[in-house]
Amino acid sequence: MKALLQPHRIVMLLIAAGLVMWICLAGRWDWLWEPKYQTLILQGVWRTIWLLALSVLIGFALAVPLGLAQASGPWYLAVPARVFCTVIRGTPLLLQVWLLYYGLGSLFPGIPWIRESDLWPILRQAWPYALLALSLSYAGYEGEVMRGAFASVPRGQIEAARAMGMPRHKILTRISFPQALQSVLPTLGGETVLQLKATPLVATITVLEIYAASSRVRQDLLITYEPLFFVAAVYLALAGVIVLGFAWLESRRPRRTA
Amino acid sequence: MESTLGLLALSPPGWGGTLLVALWASIRIAVGAFGIGLVIGLAGAYGKIYGGPILRDCLGVYTTMVRALPELILILLLYFGLTDLMNRALLVMGYERIQISGVVAGIIVLGVVQGAYATEILRGAILAVPAGQIEAAKAMGMPARKVASRITLPTMLGLALPGLSNLWLIATKDTALMAIVGFNELTLATRQAASTTKAFFTFFIAAGLIYLVITLISTWGFARLERWARRGDPPRQAGGR
Amino acid sequence: MSIATAAAPGNVTGSVTGKAEAIRVENLHKSFGPHEVLKGVSISAKEGDVVTLIGGSGSGKSTLLRCVNFLETPSSGRILIGGEEVRCRGDGTPSDRRQIERIRQSLGMVFQQFNLWTHKTVLENLIEVPVHVLKKPKDEAVATARKLLDRVGLAAKENAYPAFLSGGQQQRAAIARALCMEPRAMLFDEPTSALDPELVGEVLAVIRSLADEGRTMLLVTHEMKFAREVSDHIVYLYNGLIEEEGPPDQLFGAPQSARLKQFLKSVS
Ligand SMILES: Nc1ncnc2c1ncn2[C@@H]1O[C@H](COP(=O)(O)OP(=O)(O)OP(=O)(O)O)[C@@H](O)[C@H]1O
Ligand SMILES: [Mg+2]
Repeated sequence: MKALLQPHRIVMLLIAAGLVMWICLAGRWDWLWEPKYQTLILQGVWRTIWLLALSVLIGFALAVPLGLAQASGPWYLAVPARVFCTVIRGTPLLLQVWLLYYGLGSLFPGIPWIRESDLWPILRQAWPYALLALSLSYAGYEGEVMRGAFASVPRGQIEAARAMGMPRHKILTRISFPQALQSVLPTLGGETVLQLKATPLVATITVLEIYAASSRVRQDLLITYEPLFFVAAVYLALAGVIVLGFAWLESRRPRRTA
Repeated sequence: MESTLGLLALSPPGWGGTLLVALWASIRIAVGAFGIGLVIGLAGAYGKIYGGPILRDCLGVYTTMVRALPELILILLLYFGLTDLMNRALLVMGYERIQISGVVAGIIVLGVVQGAYATEILRGAILAVPAGQIEAAKAMGMPARKVASRITLPTMLGLALPGLSNLWLIATKDTALMAIVGFNELTLATRQAASTTKAFFTFFIAAGLIYLVITLISTWGFARLERWARRGDPPRQAGGR
Repeated sequence: MSIATAAAPGNVTGSVTGKAEAIRVENLHKSFGPHEVLKGVSISAKEGDVVTLIGGSGSGKSTLLRCVNFLETPSSGRILIGGEEVRCRGDGTPSDRRQIERIRQSLGMVFQQFNLWTHKTVLENLIEVPVHVLKKPKDEAVATARKLLDRVGLAAKENAYPAFLSGGQQQRAAIARALCMEPRAMLFDEPTSALDPELVGEVLAVIRSLADEGRTMLLVTHEMKFAREVSDHIVYLYNGLIEEEGPPDQLFGAPQSARLKQFLKSVS
């Protein structure tokens, strides 16, 4: 608190407050009070949040086996896992999103049993492709992270478990995985912020999340900056929540000293 | 599939030539942005370490904001903001408005984004240089700038290269974001080719392979560079547990 | 009493009178925050003198040596190198960067941890400052460097990177690097403390040969036997002050202060 109140910081805070005030007063914000845009924005925020949450969960669930396969799997699992991670990490997410949406989207209607299945109404929408692309992307990046995490669990830990006669899957779930998770937790927060920053890309395939909602406002009202400032604030807030959440998760775990 | 491979031919009706032109634009943006990012990053890192409290706080705001906001929004804000500001300045000075070319805009905007990440990477690497290396140079009467260029930078290079390699890959992939502001780089050209010909898989996979090749070559190159930069590192202890 | 000896040139016991003063420290104070590490220390080394600082851990030996080279900024006091006083601002920081650089170039510092530059080969370490700061012709610098490497017994290692050398070899290379500057005086800060016992001898032999050829040296060491053999003058520091000083035979043979007696007992 003391550090925050150094004279130059107070001046900087005042300047920042002044800028915000100026943006609020000089900009055009009437649309924020129109019910039409309010629902658009609320829905957008909600879509962003669940796209993020689901893709992180699915992606992480995929990342664990991907990391494990690379760290200690047999070659016929390690190689495909490695290729998958390399491809995901080596190509732009936008390209992946478009490949899945336009590619699969053009393929599915030609396959009768898909078109007649109960899933078809869902597959005709854009969000499944968005969720799939985001999940695979997270899986690719986190698979690499988990590989490092599994590889860095000290051998002695596993040998100790083996020496006590623990079966392999028990060693994995009780020893390796908790330790790997503990070591990636600090990075995971940052990675999740990165994932948040990736979500606006799905606006390009007509998913109406918060960025797309702001684009709609921009096009409807022909204003440039206000909606951009607004989404920027929303993303900053979401990123802040993620960082705080992970800091809290981390603080609940026992600290390793020295 | 076989029938659509012909669409990748270099000359029309194949789209290969279009894609290569777009690839060239992507590469120019990536190289330029990475270069600007390095310059900003180096200045920012030294500013964060040795600068006064005001400079440090300003740099802190810069790196935090850039790293917390989606690149797409930064690109739009910077693109509109910078062109607006520049044109206003030009009008005030009595010049005509100008249209910034897509490549230049892309380089500047992505460079500013890269600079924030580079600042953090280089700062960490500079701080990780053992104090004794710098003290030995000072003790021999090396001027501060010589110490920076001949001791600190070469020593921290090995530590910074993995991060920089990653950053360069981000630069190549972030060029795809310029597609969203309508700039004709590889990803946008691919989508145009794909939607014109309806051969979605062919084109998207071809573009994916191009990106992948760039990634693999760069990774290999950076790994060699790192090995060179770490030529003085102690030999690995054999047989560690 | 230390100030008295230092203030009267030619009276420093154990040194030949009539020689110029290479290093002179007057009433040096140094604090880190509230912690005063040096509380008024004066020493003097004439050309060709070997002055050795001994004392317990934390007594301020390294700090004193680092102040002489301005790696630490003294809180107060005067430091003269070759009769030249370093000009300081009111707050004690040196006012002339160039002057500091020039003075440092005339003092060869050898660190406990060697501090050879890891990204340069041994030869590159030696010619770095002569070529890139002093702008000597490269072949000339290389010739000098080779001669010095030969002298410290490292002629075969000129293209090795420091990490591939033993500690003793690294320290000998570091000494050669300091000698490359043709320094007016050498500063050694516990040059053998980081070495395995079997490597200490080879480094001490090099330092001894430097002492024998009449180099001015300021030496911090815990090797008491060696200190007694090579030094002209011994200074015992206790808690930031000079507790006792004098020629080696007097200091080791007939220590006056109880603390020095205690200290000598504890290290032998
Ligand atoms: N940069 C620094 N900041 C704060 N305190 C310091 C600093 N450098 C040294 N000190 C303190 O100054 C005191 C003297 O340190 P110095 O290194 O000079 O001792 P020394 O006599 O060389 O001991 P040793 O034999 O262990 O090397 C110690 O208490 C140390 O903690
Ligand atoms: Mg010391």
